[in-house]
Amino acid sequence: MNHFAEWLSTTFLSVFIQNHNAWVIPTIQSIHIVGIGVVLGSVLMMSLRILGWAGMDQTLRQTANRFGPWLTGALLLMLVTGILMVIGEPVRELITISFWVKMFLVAVATVIAAMFQSRLRKHEQEWEETLVHRKSIQWVTILTFLIWACIIVLGRLIAYDHVWGSWSPATKA
Amino acid sequence: MDIAALLTSLQASGLATRIRDSLFLFPLIESTHVFGLAMVFGTIAIIDLRLLGVASSQRSFQRMASDILKWTWAAFALTAVTGALMFITNPVVYYHNFYFRTKMVLLVLAGLNMGVFELTAGRTVHRWENAPSAPSVGKVVAVLSIVIWISVIFMGRMIGFTTTRAATVTPKTNGVDFDDFLGAPSNGGAPTTPPHQK
Repeated sequence: MNHFAEWLSTTFLSVFIQNHNAWVIPTIQSIHIVGIGVVLGSVLMMSLRILGWAGMDQTLRQTANRFGPWLTGALLLMLVTGILMVIGEPVRELITISFWVKMFLVAVATVIAAMFQSRLRKHEQEWEETLVHRKSIQWVTILTFLIWACIIVLGRLIAYDHVWGSWSPATKA
Repeated sequence: MDIAALLTSLQASGLATRIRDSLFLFPLIESTHVFGLAMVFGTIAIIDLRLLGVASSQRSFQRMASDILKWTWAAFALTAVTGALMFITNPVVYYHNFYFRTKMVLLVLAGLNMGVFELTAGRTVHRWENAPSAPSVGKVVAVLSIVIWISVIFMGRMIGFTTTRAATVTPKTNGVDFDDFLGAPSNGGAPTTPPHQK
Protein backbone atom coordinates (compact mmCIF):
# COMPACT_ATOMS: atom_id res chain seq x y z
CA MET A 1 0.00 0.00 0.00
CA ASN A 2 2.85 2.38 0.77
CA HIS A 3 4.32 1.77 -2.70
CA PHE A 4 0.94 2.23 -4.34
CA ALA A 5 0.38 5.46 -2.40
CA GLU A 6 3.78 6.77 -3.39
CA TRP A 7 3.27 5.85 -7.03
CA LEU A 8 -0.18 7.49 -7.01
CA SER A 9 1.33 10.68 -5.63
CA THR A 10 3.54 10.96 -8.72
CA THR A 11 0.69 10.78 -11.26
CA PHE A 12 -0.32 13.86 -13.24
CA LEU A 13 -3.68 14.42 -11.54
CA SER A 14 -2.13 14.01 -8.12
CA VAL A 15 0.65 16.47 -8.88
CA PHE A 16 -1.94 18.95 -10.21
CA ILE A 17 -4.00 18.72 -7.03
CA GLN A 18 -0.89 18.99 -4.84
CA ASN A 19 0.31 22.07 -6.74
CA HIS A 20 -3.06 23.80 -6.46
CA ASN A 21 -3.95 22.59 -3.00
CA ALA A 22 -4.60 26.12 -1.71
CA TRP A 23 -8.08 25.95 -3.22
CA VAL A 24 -8.52 22.55 -4.91
CA ILE A 25 -8.45 20.41 -1.76
CA PRO A 26 -10.75 22.63 0.37
CA THR A 27 -13.17 22.84 -2.57
CA ILE A 28 -13.23 19.07 -3.09
CA GLN A 29 -13.62 18.55 0.67
CA SER A 30 -16.49 21.05 0.79
CA ILE A 31 -18.32 19.26 -2.03
CA HIS A 32 -17.70 16.00 -0.18
CA ILE A 33 -19.27 17.52 2.98
CA VAL A 34 -22.27 18.81 1.00
CA GLY A 35 -22.62 15.23 -0.28
CA ILE A 36 -22.57 13.72 3.22
CA GLY A 37 -25.16 16.32 4.24
CA VAL A 38 -27.52 15.04 1.56
CA VAL A 39 -26.73 11.43 2.52
CA LEU A 40 -27.30 12.06 6.23
CA GLY A 41 -30.50 14.06 5.60
CA SER A 42 -31.87 11.26 3.41
CA VAL A 43 -30.90 8.50 5.84
CA LEU A 44 -32.37 10.52 8.73
CA MET A 45 -35.71 10.94 6.96
CA MET A 46 -35.91 7.25 6.05
CA SER A 47 -34.96 6.28 9.59
CA LEU A 48 -37.49 8.62 11.21
CA ARG A 49 -40.22 7.26 8.91
CA ILE A 50 -39.42 3.65 9.84
CA LEU A 51 -39.36 4.59 13.54
CA GLY A 52 -42.65 6.46 13.15
CA TRP A 53 -41.18 9.76 14.34
CA ALA A 54 -41.61 11.80 11.14
CA GLY A 55 -43.12 11.66 7.67
CA MET A 56 -46.13 9.63 8.82
CA ASP A 57 -48.28 11.31 6.12
CA GLN A 58 -46.18 9.30 3.63
CA THR A 59 -45.95 5.57 2.99
CA LEU A 60 -42.58 3.81 3.23
CA ARG A 61 -42.67 3.50 -0.56
CA GLN A 62 -43.23 7.25 -1.02
CA THR A 63 -40.46 8.04 1.45
CA ALA A 64 -38.04 5.64 -0.24
CA ASN A 65 -38.95 7.08 -3.66
CA ARG A 66 -38.32 10.60 -2.38
CA PHE A 67 -34.96 9.99 -0.70
CA GLY A 68 -33.51 6.88 -2.40
CA PRO A 69 -32.38 8.62 -5.61
CA TRP A 70 -30.87 11.54 -3.64
CA LEU A 71 -29.00 9.07 -1.45
CA THR A 72 -27.63 7.25 -4.51
CA GLY A 73 -26.74 10.50 -6.27
CA ALA A 74 -24.99 11.94 -3.21
CA LEU A 75 -23.06 8.69 -2.68
CA LEU A 76 -21.82 8.85 -6.29
CA LEU A 77 -20.79 12.48 -5.77
CA MET A 78 -18.90 11.42 -2.65
CA LEU A 79 -17.27 8.53 -4.49
CA VAL A 80 -15.95 10.92 -7.17
CA THR A 81 -14.78 13.61 -4.71
CA GLY A 82 -13.43 10.91 -2.39
CA ILE A 83 -11.35 9.37 -5.20
CA LEU A 84 -10.03 12.85 -6.08
CA MET A 85 -8.96 13.37 -2.46
CA VAL A 86 -7.16 10.02 -2.40
CA ILE A 87 -5.41 10.90 -5.68
CA GLY A 88 -4.53 14.34 -4.32
CA GLU A 89 -3.17 13.12 -0.99
CA PRO A 90 -2.63 9.35 -1.33
CA VAL A 91 -0.11 9.02 1.45
CA ARG A 92 -2.32 10.90 3.88
CA GLU A 93 -5.44 8.86 3.04
CA LEU A 94 -4.28 5.33 2.33
CA ILE A 95 -1.89 4.99 5.27
CA THR A 96 -4.49 5.72 7.96
CA ILE A 97 -6.61 3.34 9.99
CA SER A 98 -9.48 5.86 10.00
CA PHE A 99 -9.70 5.69 6.20
CA TRP A 100 -9.89 1.89 6.02
CA VAL A 101 -12.37 1.50 8.88
CA LYS A 102 -14.45 4.23 7.22
CA MET A 103 -14.37 2.40 3.86
CA PHE A 104 -15.51 -0.80 5.58
CA LEU A 105 -18.42 1.01 7.26
CA VAL A 106 -19.36 2.76 3.98
CA ALA A 107 -19.58 -0.68 2.35
CA VAL A 108 -21.74 -2.02 5.20
CA ALA A 109 -24.06 1.00 5.21
CA THR A 110 -24.42 0.99 1.41
CA VAL A 111 -25.28 -2.73 1.40
CA ILE A 112 -27.91 -2.14 4.11
CA ALA A 113 -29.45 0.74 2.09
CA ALA A 114 -29.49 -1.34 -1.11
CA MET A 115 -30.98 -4.36 0.67
CA PHE A 116 -33.69 -2.20 2.20
CA GLN A 117 -34.62 -0.74 -1.20
CA SER A 118 -34.79 -4.12 -2.92
CA ARG A 119 -36.70 -5.85 -0.10
CA LEU A 120 -39.19 -3.00 0.10
CA ARG A 121 -39.74 -3.32 -3.65
CA LYS A 122 -40.35 -7.08 -3.40
CA HIS A 123 -42.47 -7.20 -0.24
CA GLU A 124 -44.01 -3.77 -0.21
CA GLN A 125 -47.25 -4.57 1.60
CA GLU A 126 -45.54 -6.65 4.28
CA TRP A 127 -43.08 -3.80 4.94
CA GLU A 128 -45.76 -1.13 5.16
CA GLU A 129 -48.01 -3.15 7.45
CA THR A 130 -45.91 -5.36 9.69
CA LEU A 131 -42.14 -5.24 9.15
CA VAL A 132 -41.94 -1.49 9.81
CA HIS A 133 -43.24 -2.09 13.34
CA ARG A 134 -40.88 -4.95 14.12
CA LYS A 135 -38.43 -4.23 16.94
CA SER A 136 -35.46 -5.81 15.15
CA ILE A 137 -36.04 -3.64 12.07
CA GLN A 138 -36.20 -0.53 14.26
CA TRP A 139 -32.95 -1.42 16.00
CA VAL A 140 -31.23 -2.01 12.65
CA THR A 141 -32.51 1.41 11.58
CA ILE A 142 -30.96 3.12 14.61
CA LEU A 143 -27.76 1.13 14.17
CA THR A 144 -27.56 2.13 10.50
CA PHE A 145 -27.93 5.80 11.38
CA LEU A 146 -25.14 5.43 13.95
CA ILE A 147 -22.95 3.77 11.32
CA TRP A 148 -23.39 6.85 9.10
CA ALA A 149 -22.50 9.06 12.08
CA CYS A 150 -19.32 6.99 12.62
CA ILE A 151 -18.49 7.32 8.91
CA ILE A 152 -18.55 11.11 9.25
CA VAL A 153 -16.45 11.06 12.41
CA LEU A 154 -13.88 8.69 10.86
CA GLY A 155 -13.78 10.82 7.73
CA ARG A 156 -12.65 13.79 9.80
CA LEU A 157 -10.29 11.64 11.87
CA ILE A 158 -8.30 10.79 8.72
CA ALA A 159 -6.61 14.14 9.39
CA TYR A 160 -5.94 13.10 13.00
CA ASP A 161 -4.97 9.45 12.69
CA HIS A 162 -2.65 9.79 15.69
CA VAL A 163 -5.73 9.42 17.93
CA TRP A 164 -5.44 5.68 17.24
CA GLY A 165 -1.98 5.60 18.76
CA SER A 166 0.01 2.50 17.89
CA TRP A 167 -2.92 1.08 15.90
CA SER A 168 -2.35 3.68 13.25
CA PRO A 169 0.11 2.77 10.50
CA ALA A 170 0.60 6.52 9.96
CA THR A 171 2.38 6.92 13.28
CA LYS A 172 4.83 4.16 12.33
CA ALA A 173 5.57 5.50 8.85
CA MET B 1 -13.84 44.18 29.07
CA ASP B 2 -12.49 44.77 25.60
CA ILE B 3 -12.47 42.09 22.94
CA ALA B 4 -8.70 41.40 23.07
CA ALA B 5 -8.84 40.79 26.81
CA LEU B 6 -11.89 38.59 26.40
CA LEU B 7 -10.17 36.48 23.74
CA THR B 8 -7.06 36.15 25.87
CA SER B 9 -9.04 35.06 28.92
CA LEU B 10 -11.00 32.54 26.84
CA GLN B 11 -7.72 31.16 25.56
CA ALA B 12 -6.34 30.89 29.09
CA SER B 13 -9.48 29.25 30.51
CA GLY B 14 -9.28 25.79 32.04
CA LEU B 15 -11.61 24.30 29.44
CA ALA B 16 -9.55 25.65 26.53
CA THR B 17 -6.34 24.38 28.11
CA ARG B 18 -7.90 20.97 28.70
CA ILE B 19 -8.90 20.67 25.03
CA ARG B 20 -5.53 21.95 23.77
CA ASP B 21 -3.61 19.55 25.97
CA SER B 22 -5.55 16.49 24.87
CA LEU B 23 -4.64 14.44 21.81
CA PHE B 24 -8.23 13.30 21.40
CA LEU B 25 -10.58 16.11 22.39
CA PHE B 26 -10.06 18.53 19.51
CA PRO B 27 -10.34 15.84 16.79
CA LEU B 28 -13.48 14.42 18.43
CA ILE B 29 -15.05 17.85 18.85
CA GLU B 30 -14.29 18.71 15.22
CA SER B 31 -15.71 15.37 14.02
CA THR B 32 -18.90 16.00 16.00
CA HIS B 33 -19.06 19.47 14.47
CA VAL B 34 -18.96 17.93 10.97
CA PHE B 35 -21.69 15.43 11.91
CA GLY B 36 -23.86 18.28 13.20
CA LEU B 37 -23.35 20.49 10.19
CA ALA B 38 -24.04 17.61 7.79
CA MET B 39 -27.38 17.19 9.56
CA VAL B 40 -28.06 20.95 9.51
CA PHE B 41 -27.34 21.17 5.79
CA GLY B 42 -29.11 17.91 4.89
CA THR B 43 -32.33 18.81 6.69
CA ILE B 44 -32.37 22.45 5.52
CA ALA B 45 -31.82 21.31 1.94
CA ILE B 46 -34.92 19.09 2.19
CA ILE B 47 -37.01 22.12 3.24
CA ASP B 48 -35.44 24.36 0.56
CA LEU B 49 -36.08 21.83 -2.19
CA ARG B 50 -39.70 21.61 -1.02
CA LEU B 51 -40.03 25.42 -1.24
CA LEU B 52 -38.60 25.30 -4.76
CA GLY B 53 -40.95 22.48 -5.78
CA VAL B 54 -37.96 20.31 -6.75
CA ALA B 55 -38.76 17.47 -4.32
CA SER B 56 -41.52 16.43 -1.89
CA SER B 57 -43.78 18.84 -3.80
CA GLN B 58 -46.91 16.81 -3.03
CA ARG B 59 -46.45 17.06 0.76
CA SER B 60 -47.82 19.72 3.08
CA PHE B 61 -45.09 22.27 3.78
CA GLN B 62 -46.27 22.81 7.36
CA ARG B 63 -46.19 19.12 8.05
CA MET B 64 -42.64 18.79 6.71
CA ALA B 65 -41.45 21.84 8.62
CA SER B 66 -42.80 20.48 11.91
CA ASP B 67 -41.32 17.02 11.19
CA ILE B 68 -37.88 18.22 10.19
CA LEU B 69 -36.91 21.61 11.65
CA LYS B 70 -36.63 20.35 15.24
CA TRP B 71 -33.82 18.07 14.02
CA THR B 72 -32.21 21.01 12.24
CA TRP B 73 -32.24 23.07 15.44
CA ALA B 74 -30.92 20.20 17.55
CA ALA B 75 -28.09 19.69 15.06
CA PHE B 76 -27.45 23.45 14.93
CA ALA B 77 -27.13 23.54 18.73
CA LEU B 78 -24.58 20.71 18.49
CA THR B 79 -22.51 22.59 15.87
CA ALA B 80 -22.73 25.82 17.90
CA VAL B 81 -21.46 24.13 21.06
CA THR B 82 -18.68 22.20 19.31
CA GLY B 83 -17.80 25.28 17.25
CA ALA B 84 -17.51 27.39 20.41
CA LEU B 85 -15.30 24.73 22.01
CA MET B 86 -12.97 24.77 19.00
CA PHE B 87 -12.98 28.57 19.01
CA ILE B 88 -11.82 28.95 22.61
CA THR B 89 -8.76 26.75 22.03
CA ASN B 90 -7.27 29.45 19.82
CA PRO B 91 -9.63 32.46 19.90
CA VAL B 92 -7.17 35.19 18.91
CA VAL B 93 -6.18 33.38 15.71
CA TYR B 94 -9.76 32.46 14.77
CA TYR B 95 -11.01 35.95 15.55
CA HIS B 96 -8.56 37.47 13.09
CA ASN B 97 -9.01 34.80 10.43
CA PHE B 98 -10.68 36.08 7.26
CA TYR B 99 -12.63 32.86 6.63
CA PHE B 100 -13.83 32.64 10.22
CA ARG B 101 -15.18 36.19 10.02
CA THR B 102 -16.80 35.54 6.65
CA LYS B 103 -18.39 32.38 8.03
CA MET B 104 -19.87 34.30 10.99
CA VAL B 105 -21.25 36.95 8.63
CA LEU B 106 -22.78 34.22 6.47
CA LEU B 107 -24.42 32.64 9.55
CA VAL B 108 -25.98 36.02 10.37
CA LEU B 109 -27.16 36.28 6.75
CA ALA B 110 -28.68 32.79 7.01
CA GLY B 111 -30.59 33.99 10.07
CA LEU B 112 -31.77 37.17 8.33
CA ASN B 113 -32.81 35.10 5.31
CA MET B 114 -34.92 32.94 7.63
CA GLY B 115 -36.38 36.12 9.15
CA VAL B 116 -37.35 37.39 5.70
CA PHE B 117 -39.10 34.09 5.05
CA GLU B 118 -41.06 34.31 8.30
CA LEU B 119 -42.17 37.87 7.53
CA THR B 120 -43.22 37.15 3.92
CA ALA B 121 -44.09 33.69 2.61
CA GLY B 122 -44.25 32.34 6.18
CA ARG B 123 -47.21 34.62 6.95
CA THR B 124 -49.29 33.27 4.07
CA VAL B 125 -48.24 29.65 4.47
CA HIS B 126 -51.83 28.45 4.94
CA ARG B 127 -52.54 29.64 1.38
CA TRP B 128 -49.75 27.75 -0.36
CA GLU B 129 -48.68 24.95 1.97
CA ASN B 130 -50.29 22.33 -0.26
CA ALA B 131 -49.17 23.96 -3.54
CA PRO B 132 -46.26 22.26 -5.34
CA SER B 133 -43.96 25.19 -4.56
CA ALA B 134 -43.75 28.37 -2.48
CA PRO B 135 -44.48 31.90 -3.79
CA SER B 136 -41.53 33.62 -5.54
CA VAL B 137 -40.16 35.20 -2.37
CA GLY B 138 -40.06 31.74 -0.76
CA LYS B 139 -38.14 30.38 -3.74
CA VAL B 140 -35.61 33.22 -3.57
CA VAL B 141 -35.15 32.53 0.16
CA ALA B 142 -34.65 28.81 -0.61
CA VAL B 143 -31.98 29.45 -3.26
CA LEU B 144 -30.19 31.93 -0.98
CA SER B 145 -30.37 29.43 1.86
CA ILE B 146 -28.70 26.68 -0.18
CA VAL B 147 -26.01 29.07 -1.48
CA ILE B 148 -25.34 30.51 2.00
CA TRP B 149 -25.07 27.13 3.70
CA ILE B 150 -22.74 25.69 1.04
CA SER B 151 -20.61 28.83 1.48
CA VAL B 152 -20.64 28.33 5.26
CA ILE B 153 -19.29 24.80 4.72
CA PHE B 154 -16.57 26.08 2.37
CA MET B 155 -15.53 28.88 4.77
CA GLY B 156 -15.45 26.39 7.64
CA ARG B 157 -13.12 24.15 5.68
CA MET B 158 -10.92 27.13 4.72
CA ILE B 159 -10.53 28.05 8.41
CA GLY B 160 -8.86 24.68 8.90
CA PHE B 161 -6.48 25.33 6.01
CA THR B 162 -5.51 28.84 7.09
CA THR B 163 -4.97 28.42 10.83
CA THR B 164 -2.61 26.21 12.72
CA ARG B 165 -3.85 24.75 15.91
CA ALA B 166 -3.13 25.70 19.50
CA ALA B 167 -0.92 28.23 21.17
CA THR B 168 2.22 28.15 19.07
CA VAL B 169 0.89 30.60 16.49
CA THR B 170 0.73 34.36 16.49
CA PRO B 171 -2.40 36.20 15.36
CA LYS B 172 -2.67 36.90 11.66
CA THR B 173 -4.21 40.12 10.54
CA ASN B 174 -4.06 39.57 6.79
CA GLY B 175 -6.10 36.37 6.66
CA VAL B 176 -4.49 34.02 4.18
CA ASP B 177 -0.95 32.83 4.75
CA PHE B 178 0.13 30.74 1.81
CA ASP B 179 2.90 29.06 3.77
CA ASP B 180 0.18 27.67 6.00
CA PHE B 181 -1.71 26.45 2.96
CA LEU B 182 1.27 24.45 1.80
CA GLY B 183 2.75 23.51 5.13
CA ALA B 184 -0.25 22.56 7.24
CA PRO B 185 -3.24 21.83 5.04
CA SER B 186 -5.22 20.04 7.69
CA ASN B 187 -6.66 21.64 10.78
CA GLY B 188 -3.54 21.00 12.72
CA GLY B 189 -2.97 17.55 14.10
CA ALA B 190 -1.03 16.65 17.19
CA PRO B 191 1.70 19.06 18.07
CA THR B 192 4.19 16.19 17.91
CA THR B 193 3.03 14.43 14.72
CA PRO B 194 2.34 16.54 11.66
CA PRO B 195 -0.84 15.25 9.97
CA HIS B 196 0.70 15.38 6.53
CA GLN B 197 3.84 13.57 5.65
CA LYS B 198 4.77 14.46 2.12
